[in-house]
Amino acid sequence: MKTLLLALCVLFGSAKVWGAVYYVTVAGLGGEPDYEQRFTAAARDLDKSFKAAGSSAHVTTLTGKDASRARLTEVLGTVAREAKSEDDFVLVLIGHGTFDGAEYKFNLVGPDVTATELAGMCDRIAARRQLVVNTTSASGGSVMMLRRPGRGVIAATKSGTEKNATVFARYWVEAMQDPAADVDKSDSVSALEAYQYADRKTSGFYESQKRLATEHAVFEDTGRGEPVRAASGSEGALLSNFTILRIGASQKAANDPARQQLLAKKEELEQKIDVLKYGKAAMDPSDYKKQLTAALVELAQIQQELDK
Amino acid sequence: MTLSVTCRSGSAGVGFALTVGCVLFGAVRSWGAPLATPESCAVLRRHGQQAEAQSCYESLTHSPRADLRAEGYWGLQEFKDANEQFQAATAGPDAQAAVRVRYGMLLHERFNDVDSVALFQEALQRDPRNAQAYLGLAEVSAGGFDGKAAEYALKALSLDPKLSEAHELLAGLALENNDTEHAVSEADAALAIAPDAMDVMALRGAVELLADRSPDAWFAKMHAVNASYGQGYALVARQLEMHYRYEDAIGYYRKAVEADPKLWSAHSALGIDLMRIGQEDEPRRELELSYNNGYKDRATVNSLRLLDSYKSFVTYKDEVTTLKLRREEADLLRPYFDAELHRAVATYQKKYGMTLPGPVQLEVYPDHEDFAVRTMGMPGLGALGVTFGEVVAMDSPSGRRPGDFNWGATLWHEMSHVYILTMTKHRVPRWFTEGLAVHEESAATGRPEWANRLTPEVVAAIRDKKLLPIETLDRGFVSPEYPAQVVVSYWQAGSICDFIGNKYGEAKLLAIAKAFGAVKTTPQVVKEELGLSTADFDTQYKTWLNAKVGTTVANFDAWRTRLKGLVELEKAKNYEAVLKEGEAVRALYPEYVGEANAYEFLAEAHLAKEDKKAAAAVLMAYAQAGGESPATLKKLASLQEESGDTKAAAATLDRINFIYPVHDEDLHRRLGALWLAQGNFPGAIRESAAVVAMKPLDKAGAEFNLAQAYYASGDKAKAEETVLLALEAAPGFRPAQKLLLELEKPGTSSDSKDKK
Repeated sequence: MKTLLLALCVLFGSAKVWGAVYYVTVAGLGGEPDYEQRFTAAARDLDKSFKAAGSSAHVTTLTGKDASRARLTEVLGTVAREAKSEDDFVLVLIGHGTFDGAEYKFNLVGPDVTATELAGMCDRIAARRQLVVNTTSASGGSVMMLRRPGRGVIAATKSGTEKNATVFARYWVEAMQDPAADVDKSDSVSALEAYQYADRKTSGFYESQKRLATEHAVFEDTGRGEPVRAASGSEGALLSNFTILRIGASQKAANDPARQQLLAKKEELEQKIDVLKYGKAAMDPSDYKKQLTAALVELAQIQQELDK
Repeated sequence: MTLSVTCRSGSAGVGFALTVGCVLFGAVRSWGAPLATPESCAVLRRHGQQAEAQSCYESLTHSPRADLRAEGYWGLQEFKDANEQFQAATAGPDAQAAVRVRYGMLLHERFNDVDSVALFQEALQRDPRNAQAYLGLAEVSAGGFDGKAAEYALKALSLDPKLSEAHELLAGLALENNDTEHAVSEADAALAIAPDAMDVMALRGAVELLADRSPDAWFAKMHAVNASYGQGYALVARQLEMHYRYEDAIGYYRKAVEADPKLWSAHSALGIDLMRIGQEDEPRRELELSYNNGYKDRATVNSLRLLDSYKSFVTYKDEVTTLKLRREEADLLRPYFDAELHRAVATYQKKYGMTLPGPVQLEVYPDHEDFAVRTMGMPGLGALGVTFGEVVAMDSPSGRRPGDFNWGATLWHEMSHVYILTMTKHRVPRWFTEGLAVHEESAATGRPEWANRLTPEVVAAIRDKKLLPIETLDRGFVSPEYPAQVVVSYWQAGSICDFIGNKYGEAKLLAIAKAFGAVKTTPQVVKEELGLSTADFDTQYKTWLNAKVGTTVANFDAWRTRLKGLVELEKAKNYEAVLKEGEAVRALYPEYVGEANAYEFLAEAHLAKEDKKAAAAVLMAYAQAGGESPATLKKLASLQEESGDTKAAAATLDRINFIYPVHDEDLHRRLGALWLAQGNFPGAIRESAAVVAMKPLDKAGAEFNLAQAYYASGDKAKAEETVLLALEAAPGFRPAQKLLLELEKPGTSSDSKDKK
C-alpha cells in the first residue's frame, strides 16, 4: 500500500507545473454573535495566510453580509473565467451546514447554497486540481455531491448526521500558521498535511475536554470512492501532492536552470532514501543506518550548494 | 404473627408435599417436621445446621404462596427463581409492604440497589411505619457512604425498638467513624435483643482488634453459635479495611473463606484487597472463583476487567520504586512521574526519619473508570488518588480535563499516606492522615501554590459553622451529612495540620503520628502532645482560622454578588469598569482561582488596554494563589517571554507539567526551546523528548529539537542518532541537514569521538 501511494505521489509530482492558486474562503451565517465572530475571524486568518503565499495567490474572502449566495456565485464565476487548467483552486467553507438526508446546504446570508449547486459552480472552473474544504457541521453530507476526479474534498464530519458545530475549522486555520504542519519540511503545506494536522488537533480537543467527539473529519480525493478518515491506497495521493501553502524558496530553486543538475542529483538521492526507508524492515539495522547516513549527508551537502 | 398453627397434609406419604392446605400465616410444615418459616430456616442456618436449613428452605419452595417460595429459593441461593417468585408476589396492588421489603433486601444482596431502594420506598408508601423498610434504606446508604444510614437506622429503631439489626448497623457505622464507645454501646444493645447475633459479636471482636487487643473472647462466642460462620470474619476484615489495615483485612478474609469456602463475597473482597497491595495472580484466582459462582457485583466484575487491562501497562522497577504506566503514555509520563516519585521518597524519608520496608508502587490510570475500580466501596473522595499500604493508585493527568487536578500534588499527598500508614502500622485516624497529606502538598514540596485551597464550599461551610470538632472529624469523611462535607473535611483536616505545624512546628506533626501509632485516641493525643483538651484545641484552632480566613468568610456573600456583576461587565467588554470592580472582587476573596475568577477578568481587561505588564502581574498573582488553568498559565508564560523574562516564562510552563503535561505538544516545545536557550540542557532534553513521545505529526521537527538539545549538552552520539531520525522522516529538512553536516565534520562525529 505504501509503495503504491509513493508511486502515485511520484507520478503526481513529476507532472507538477507551478501555476497560480485561486483561494476562495467563505465564512457563512453564524446565527449568533459568538459564531459570527468565530467564523469571520477564521476566514480572516486564512485570508492573511493565503495572501502571504506570494504573487501567484489570488485570494477572495467572503464574510459578514458579503457571504451570500449571489456573491459566492459571482466570485466563483470570476475564478471560472480566470483560472487556467494548470492552476489550482481552493474553496474553504466555514460556518454551519445542514443535511436533510438527501441534500447538504451551506448556510449563507439570504438563501443557502446546496452541495449540488456548489459542485456545479466548481465544475465550471478550469483548474484541473481543485480542493474543497468544507468545515461546517453536517459537511460529510456534501462529499458525494462535490467529489470529482482531480478534486479533493475534505469535510469536518463523516456524514450529514454529525450536526453539532465543529472545531475543525479552527485547526485548519492553525495548520496554515504552524510550521509544525509542514511534516516533511518541504517548505510547503500540502492538503494532506493540513488535513492530518487539523484532524489530529480536533481529536485532541475532544479528548482533552473529555467530551464525546461529535465530528470526525473525512476526505475523498479519487473522485470515485467513499470518504475515508486516513490516507490509504489511492486515497490521499491527490491531497498529499496538493500544495495549499508555499512557505519557502522551493519554487524559486525549481525554476533556476543553473541548478538543474544539482536538483536532478537531489531528486535521485531523495528517491534512494525513499527506497531505503521502505526496505528498512528487511535490512540489517547497522547497514541501514550506514547507507541512510551516507545518503542523507550527501543530500544535505547538495542542499547546501543549492542554498548558496 | 402467630405461627402455632396446625397443618394438615394434603397428600399423605409425601414428605415435603405440604403444598395444599397446610400453609397458613407464612408457615410450611413437612409431615412430622417442625413448622418451616423463613425465620426458622434462618435460625437453622445461623446455627450452622446446614442440612436442616437446606431442607427447611427446600420445603418453602413448595409453598402455595409466592413470597414464601421466593424465601425458599433465596435461602437455597437460587436467586433467579427467588426473583421471579418475588416478582409474582409483588405484582398485585395488594402485595404487602413486608414482601416488598424482603424483595428489596434480596435485590440489595444481589447488587441492585436502585431497585431495592425503590421497593423500600414503595413499602413505606403502603406502610409508613415499616421499620424493616427503613433498615433496608439504612443498609443501602451505609454501602454508599451517603451519610443517611444512621438517620434511617434510628428511624427504624424508633418504629421497632427491638430491631437488633438496626443497632448492629449503627455499631458498624460508629466503628467506621472511630467512635468506639458508641460502637460498643450499640453492639451491646443489639446483643441484648439478639444474644446469638454473630455479626455483632464479630463487630465487638473488631473493636478489640482495632485497639490492638485480643478479639478471641468474641470469636469464641461466635464459634459457640456456629463454628463455620465465615461472614463474621469478613465483617471484621471490612472494618480493618476501613481503617487502612489492608494486610490485616486480607488475613481475616482468608479466615472467612476458610470457615465458609462458599462465601463468594469474601473471596471477591479477598481478591480485591490482594490487588490493592499490588498482587495479580492470587487476586485473579479469587475473583474468578467468586465470579464463576455467581457473585458478579460491580467490584468483582470491574476488578477482573482491570486485571485484564494490566497487559496494556508497562512496569518500571528500581530498588525504591515500581512505576506502572499505561503503554501509550509511558514514554511521555515516565520522566515526570519517576523524578517526582523519587523526590517524594527522598524528602519524606528525611522528613519522617524512616525508610520504607520495600519499594513503593505507583499505578497511574489514564482511564478514570479503571482507577475508580481501585476506590470502589471505599469512603472519601477517592477521586484522584488512593493509597493501599505501599501501593498508590492515581488518575493520570490524561484521565482528567486540563486544569482539573494537579497530579504532582496528588502524588505527594498519597506518598505522605504511604509513610504515615507504614509508620503507624495503619493505626491512625482518617482526619490526621488525610490532613497531614493535604498539609504536605505544600509543606513537603516547598510549593506554596499547591497549598490547601479555600474553595467556595469550604468558605460557605465555615460561614455556616459546619466545621466539625476534631474529635468527630472522621465522620465528615465517612458519613457526610451534606454533599460537600467530604471536601470540607479534607480542607479542615489539612488546615488543622497547618495550624499545628505553624504553632508547634513541623516536628510536632511527626510526634502526633507516632502517638497515633501507639494506638492512642484523638483526645489522648491532643492532650499528650499539645497539652490541650479537644475542646480547647477546637477553640484555639478556630481563633487561628478566623485570623487567617475570617475576612474572606465575612466577605463571601458580597463577593458572590459582585462577581456576578463583574461577569456582566466583562461580557459587555466594559474594561474600565472591569479593572475597577475586578480589583475589589479580588480583594474580597483573593484565594478564589476557580471558574470566572477576578484575576483572569483583570488580565483580559489589562490586555484590552494593551497593558501587558499589568496583565502579567495579575496573572502571576493568579498563579501564586494556586490558579491551575493551563491555558491561563500559558498566557502568563507568553507575556513573561515577551517581556524578556524567559526564566519566569520557563518556570510558569514547568508548572503546567504538574497539571496537564499531556495532549500539549506546544507546551513541551516551548519549554524545551526556552531551556535550551537558557542552557538547561537536561530540561531541554526532557521537554524535547516529551514532544517525541507524543508521536507528533511533525516527527522531523520534534526529533530535530531533541537532537539540538543533545548536541548542546555535548552528547553527540545521541544527537546524531536523533537527527538521523528527523531526516529519515523529512530528508529535506534544512536545519536538520545542517546539524548532520556539523556532526559529520571530521573530528566531530560520535564515531570519531568514540574512536578517540
